[in-house]
Amino acid sequence: MYRWKIQLKRMGITHRFRIGLLLILLMIPQCASAGEATEVVARLQSALLSTMKDADRLGFEGRYRQLEPVVIDTHDLPFIARIALGRHWRALNEEQRAMMMATFQRLSIASYAGRFDTYTGKKFKIGEEKPLPRGQGRMVESQMIKPDGENVQFTYLLHHVNNQWRIANIIVNGVSDLALKRAEYSSLLDREGFQSLIAKIEEQIRGYAEGSKK
Amino acid sequence: MWFDNSTYARTLLICGVAVVSMMPGCASLSSKAHGTPDSLEQVNRSIYDFNDYLDRKIAKPVADTYVRITHENIRLTVSNFFDNIRYFNVILNDVLQGKGQQGLSDMSRFLINSTVGVGGLFNVASEFGFDAQEEDFGQTLGVWGAGEGSYLVLPFLGPNSVRDAPDLLVSTATNGLFYVGVAAVTFPLAILAAIDKRARADKAFNFRDQAAVEPYVFTREAYLEHRRYLIYDGSPPLDDEFLEEIFDNGEGDQP
Repeated sequence: MYRWKIQLKRMGITHRFRIGLLLILLMIPQCASAGEATEVVARLQSALLSTMKDADRLGFEGRYRQLEPVVIDTHDLPFIARIALGRHWRALNEEQRAMMMATFQRLSIASYAGRFDTYTGKKFKIGEEKPLPRGQGRMVESQMIKPDGENVQFTYLLHHVNNQWRIANIIVNGVSDLALKRAEYSSLLDREGFQSLIAKIEEQIRGYAEGSKK
Repeated sequence: MWFDNSTYARTLLICGVAVVSMMPGCASLSSKAHGTPDSLEQVNRSIYDFNDYLDRKIAKPVADTYVRITHENIRLTVSNFFDNIRYFNVILNDVLQGKGQQGLSDMSRFLINSTVGVGGLFNVASEFGFDAQEEDFGQTLGVWGAGEGSYLVLPFLGPNSVRDAPDLLVSTATNGLFYVGVAAVTFPLAILAAIDKRARADKAFNFRDQAAVEPYVFTREAYLEHRRYLIYDGSPPLDDEFLEEIFDNGEGDQP
């Protein structure tokens, strides 16, 4: 039990100092990253809030343009699109993959622009940030607090890509958006094929723009 | 009268009360990596399409008319009444799940609303901090360790599962309407309860219409994930298998 103490004593002071410095340097990225994931979520929610407050004046197109840079910056949309297609991704050619990425990006922005279209005193409250169980990324808890008391619980899952934390999945009241999309897209691809999936996503985007799908 | 004691009337009564108690399946439009295995998918899809047709042709137009002709406060009073008359099911399942403190709180809620709240018409209990909880026998079975079993779509009633289906009986037996015993009172109330539930579920249905590219799968996955959320009282564990698959990039190529 005391072997390490004896070994440490036998090392020179300089050597011990180097080990200590190395340990500190290894810890710095963990310290630096704690809170950065929260900042990403805070940035997204701040943009959503300010868009909601100006929703009527902006209209759908204005909300879309205002949210576009923030959504692209805070989400890893290519990653989400690829995972949403699951095993079908491998079967797509380059042109289909590019089409899927572009369409999915427009859907993601349109869904925010379509859903966050009124402000009734809603607020966001950010909670704890925690690492994911096996260190794959970080998790940020948040709540949307509505005046009628019907609060919505959000769990953002982020991973570190291109030197930045980006949202890879959002769980809303226990329902995983990515799992939902993956199940839907997989079923649609199996039953109706890629063109049908793209057509339905385009219809969805139009629905958000027009205010309702049906 | 002939329909007070006949087996036929009693069966209809049970069905009517079951409709009242089962609509949470529709309203709860609050996963595995490739979607939930759905062993009865073909049958479920047929029933889903049937239910969807009935909803668009009958249930939604009736609910929309109800919303149009009634004041919001009237509808709130109606909702409070039916929530209260069903609330004993919540208390029972609090006890079965060993949630003693929550059970006491829910009993207090029920008693306050039944008395001060004039038979449940007014939700006074929330003002005293006794907020509504959502418990049922399907959640109890989940807490006891039962798996969800096959996903089911029930005619008229919507999404369900083998584990959640027994709640049909339990919620019926704990529903105050079941004991009224006068069909002329129970049937209209049961219909009103169904209309009230459909009106309250309208946002969830609209959300599905807007957000789903495959409504059947969307409803299935959202229902099952939401049930899991309820069983874990709002803190379900993360799906490790799914996390591993998405973050460890088990499939697909890098963009």
